Amino acid sequence: MQPCSREMQAMNSLLNPTQQIPLQDLQINGNSHHHQQIHVPSSSQFQYPTPTSTTHHDDSFLEQILSSTTSFPWSDETGPPNPEDNNNAGFNYDEMVLASKLRQHQINGGAAGNPFSAMKMMLMMQQQQQQQQMMLAGRPTVASSAAGGGITTNHQGGEGSMQALYNVFGDGSLHGTMQAKSFVGANSATEMTQSQGSRPTAGEAVTAPEKPKQRVRARRGQATDPHSIAERLRRVRIAERMKALQELVPNANKTDKASMLDEIIDYVKFLQLQVKVLSMSRLGGAAAVAPLVSEGGGDCIQTSANGGSHPRNSNGDQTPSANDRLTMTEHQVAKLMEEDMGSAMQYLQGKGLCLMPISLATAISTATSRSRNPMINHENPTNGSHLLIQSSGGDGPSSPSMSVLTVQSATMGNGGLEGGAASVSKP
Amino acid sequence: MDSQHLNPSSLKSRFTARFLRALIKINAQKPISSSSPREIFQRYRRIKVAADKSMAYSVRSRRTWSRATLWKLRSRSRRRLASSGRRSSIKTRTTTTTTTTTTSTNHRAAIVEKTSHEKENKEDHVGLAVQAEELRELVPGGESMDLCNLLDETAHYIKCLTTQVQVMKKIANLYSLE
Repeated sequence: MQPCSREMQAMNSLLNPTQQIPLQDLQINGNSHHHQQIHVPSSSQFQYPTPTSTTHHDDSFLEQILSSTTSFPWSDETGPPNPEDNNNAGFNYDEMVLASKLRQHQINGGAAGNPFSAMKMMLMMQQQQQQQQMMLAGRPTVASSAAGGGITTNHQGGEGSMQALYNVFGDGSLHGTMQAKSFVGANSATEMTQSQGSRPTAGEAVTAPEKPKQRVRARRGQATDPHSIAERLRRVRIAERMKALQELVPNANKTDKASMLDEIIDYVKFLQLQVKVLSMSRLGGAAAVAPLVSEGGGDCIQTSANGGSHPRNSNGDQTPSANDRLTMTEHQVAKLMEEDMGSAMQYLQGKGLCLMPISLATAISTATSRSRNPMINHENPTNGSHLLIQSSGGDGPSSPSMSVLTVQSATMGNGGLEGGAASVSKP
Repeated sequence: MDSQHLNPSSLKSRFTARFLRALIKINAQKPISSSSPREIFQRYRRIKVAADKSMAYSVRSRRTWSRATLWKLRSRSRRRLASSGRRSSIKTRTTTTTTTTTTSTNHRAAIVEKTSHEKENKEDHVGLAVQAEELRELVPGGESMDLCNLLDETAHYIKCLTTQVQVMKKIANLYSLE
């Protein structure tokens, strides 16, 4: 069971500092009730009024507990636990310890939370005690009965639970369990480290408020072991970065992470391509086409004419004439290509056309079918892998002034490209 | 069209300044209208390199990708120097550079192998291993980063690329209007 209330965590913070104290030390110092074997760190919020005598009566101690508003650490009380000590003094001591802790919870917590927190504390202690039983090879039956009795009786309420404590602890046969309980404070840390995963969660939940910056506070019902916390943190960070990327990349309406990543990858490719093309166009453009064509079919991306002065109406108007022109041009280009690639390219450039691989062209065509853009004609299959793209602006020799057209620019439709097109159309 | 940059120390203005300087240098070396395609191709390469380099320099070493780009460019220039010029002294240098490159690549490969296991564990959890790999290839210097940092680098890289494209487009327009 994971304690989730603040009181529980405070208590756990108490228990944690005692982590390094081994069992043997406590047993050795069993009989000396006075001095403090366990040094409580200053961060502990519990101050303990040191008991002066080893033997106490129930009433006086109970009064002391109930009247005192100061907190106290585990350590002093549980300093001298001794499993062989079955006398009433030890019994009362432990009882006092538990009662005082319960009282503290009542004091610290609200009235409403008292029964619950008290019950939780009882449960936790009993569970720890059970484990402690295993360690000590004590009386498991007694422990379980104590646990069961304690739990059931705790439903009564704050004060009632106090009474229940006494009822449960009232049996003389429970001394062993009491001793086990007394060990709880001192050794809870050790046993917590040894016990299963549910135990450390308490500790970690406790440390969360102390180190808020380093850890994400564990929520109820969620695993709090370090791996899952790290995982969660990582996922959160990745989600943040994906959101930031979504703003940068256009067409970022994808909700799925995988498709978003695909979008991002395509956009990065597109931008790198644009840089390449732009650095080409600055050379006085047209002639730069040739070396790229000869360089390799796959790498052959050309600038193509963009809208010109009629960005959006070009498609419908120019369709019939374009086709005729293209067929003629195709033949010309095919002829030229047989002789010399460079001249073919220059011819094309003179016409304001360009050559590009079919793969890219199909991509562009699918993209441009939804927006304004030049049409694409399929060349005769003899030339294999290239298509002709017509410039709808028809500026001809000033083709280098045309802005770059690629797949995503067509889909983008806004932003820098249109700005570029608009500025280009001026001359 | 104005190319005024309101913020003198912004990435855009830094990049523009550097790139224009590089362009001027390149143009000074050779006239724009070169006939031979090979020369034109070389010029294209030079301009592209200048663009990438000036962008990387504008970012300095603040980002992994810029560091990787600068390192790549420098090693390439070193190799080119070695191949073109002096042999004897360069041989040792080339060996050292090659060894450094190999060691760095090995180191990187080691890192990749070592972290790939963890990465796979983590990314299988998220299910984005394939795309992460592809992104790593695209973004320079992205081989040895987990997905979290990779996305960070990608965001900055995209920002810088868009700036680069914007500036280059404007310059191209200016050029064409002359």
